Amino acid sequence: MIFEKRTERIFLAIFFLIALCIPLFLEDNSFFVGKATTILILAVFVMSLDFLVGRVGLVTLGHALFYGLGGYLFVILTPEYEAVNFWVYAVYILAISALIALVVGVVVLRTSGIYFIMITLAISQMAYYFFFDSLEFGGNDGLFIFMKPETSIFGLNFLNLDNPTHFYYLSLLAVLVTLLAIKITLRSRFGRIVEASRLNPERTEALGYNIFAFRLISYIIGSTLAAYAGLLFALQYGYVNPQFMTWEMSGTALVMSILGGMGTIYGAILGTITYEGLQYSFEHLSEDWMLLMGGAIILMVLLLRKGLAGYLEKLLEK
Amino acid sequence: MSTELIFVQLVNGIQYGLLLFLIASGLTLVFGVMGILNLAHGSMYMVGAYLVWYFVSITGSFTLSALLSAVIALGLGILIERVLIQRLYNRNHLDQVLLTIGMIFVFNSLQSILWGNDPYGVAVPDTLGGSVPFTDNSSYPIYRIFAALICIAIAAALYFVVSKTRLGMLIRAGESNREMVEALGVNIKSLYTIVFAIGVMLAAVSGIIAAPMRSIVPGMGESVLITCFVVVVIGGMGSIKGAFVGALLVGVISTFAAVLMPSMSNMIIYIFMILVLLVKPQGLFAK
Repeated sequence: MIFEKRTERIFLAIFFLIALCIPLFLEDNSFFVGKATTILILAVFVMSLDFLVGRVGLVTLGHALFYGLGGYLFVILTPEYEAVNFWVYAVYILAISALIALVVGVVVLRTSGIYFIMITLAISQMAYYFFFDSLEFGGNDGLFIFMKPETSIFGLNFLNLDNPTHFYYLSLLAVLVTLLAIKITLRSRFGRIVEASRLNPERTEALGYNIFAFRLISYIIGSTLAAYAGLLFALQYGYVNPQFMTWEMSGTALVMSILGGMGTIYGAILGTITYEGLQYSFEHLSEDWMLLMGGAIILMVLLLRKGLAGYLEKLLEK
Repeated sequence: MSTELIFVQLVNGIQYGLLLFLIASGLTLVFGVMGILNLAHGSMYMVGAYLVWYFVSITGSFTLSALLSAVIALGLGILIERVLIQRLYNRNHLDQVLLTIGMIFVFNSLQSILWGNDPYGVAVPDTLGGSVPFTDNSSYPIYRIFAALICIAIAAALYFVVSKTRLGMLIRAGESNREMVEALGVNIKSLYTIVFAIGVMLAAVSGIIAAPMRSIVPGMGESVLITCFVVVVIGGMGSIKGAFVGALLVGVISTFAAVLMPSMSNMIIYIFMILVLLVKPQGLFAK
């Protein structure tokens, strides 16, 4: 069983059950289906960050770099007025993102601890200003996606990305795939070594493992998943702009993952839903929602030692 | 570029660098002594600028407003440390990051509730108005020179306190071995409160000094925060000397970049920081 904890199994069962049914109840309310889709996409992004920060031990404040790249690469690679195949281009984009993550990883992994936080922040800020100041990539306004890609596989076409419900299920699939991919990676020999090198780098190195290589591969996995989330987000809203890459974006994802319970992976889903849910409610409650949000974050840090997942586990595990 | 222009830009860069140092010094002090990365540090800079603007609009006196704002900032620092930060000393660093992000939300929101989202400006005090001639056809505003001098004075005071006084001795001791300092009978809790409050006040004082030179706008804290990160990382986290050198480098480099290659100017300090970290992964003055 790749889901070791009871709490985890219960939460995921309830989550997927509800998630599968949401469009059935909200069929005619495309706003809420769209909102739910965005939360699912963010959950993919936050899970990929949770994997890096909580399990590999790479605290990055520049994860949004890859989120933005996923969107920008799509617009840059595809012709403006021709629908391309989604799956083919997703593979291209993920491959290029992985390559970029390799290069960035080689640079940033030379540092550690607080310097790693700062160098990842610096690189994503660089990318942010690169797109912000560029004329050919639309500057602050970003770029628009005029044609949504088609999604046929071997001539079979059962997904229409212009249909919010279809897009919703594509995003839910992304959540499932990301969850399984991370969980299986962590259960594997590779994952065990990665975790060992977080818990005790010296001993892991002494056992003959090249920590750098393991961290680099993990960094590439996490970053590529983030790029996929960014690609989906760009396709959902039909544009990409430098705001995808701000440090606030990275910071918010970090907040969601810490709130959910760092390193638990399923907690990332919980944290994303909670954060987005709170923000949505507060925005409707008052103009000064940021005050309520900030207060809620501060309260949760003070009260929950291991995030929401930790709290649930205290209730459900014996 | 004429020599004259180079000279003017150099002075501009140094003046900007000195201001950056003042902001960054608080950040690096708190990190060095307490091991806390205060992401809300930029918000304290913003608080300083807004407070001084608010008091000037009531009293009309810049000096009085500046003093009042600095004292309020000191009190705010003590309050935040006592009520919030103190509860997280035994917790994960990421919890501290989360807490200070929550504080950014709260301060940004309070700013918008109390003072709205319009940009404001503070007039340069009359006695410091005008400018001194540089060469035949250029001059430099007196207030900027005054601001630079204040920054230098505070830097010198900080150096004196840290290296020559009993408090400074305790701060340095607390940096290298917290348990030992505690075992020797020093109340490390109140030491931390003092250090954090000084950090907050340094950020607020920077905001006060910057107020007549820059526009006071929402979000001013975050942009300065990221620049400060660059400064302290280049210098070496926790090192005040490093922050000084880092701030001057960043100040001069970004000022020249804005003139020489405007399209790259925003990126250049990050490129510089990455280069520094590639050569020295712990910054220039690593401990």
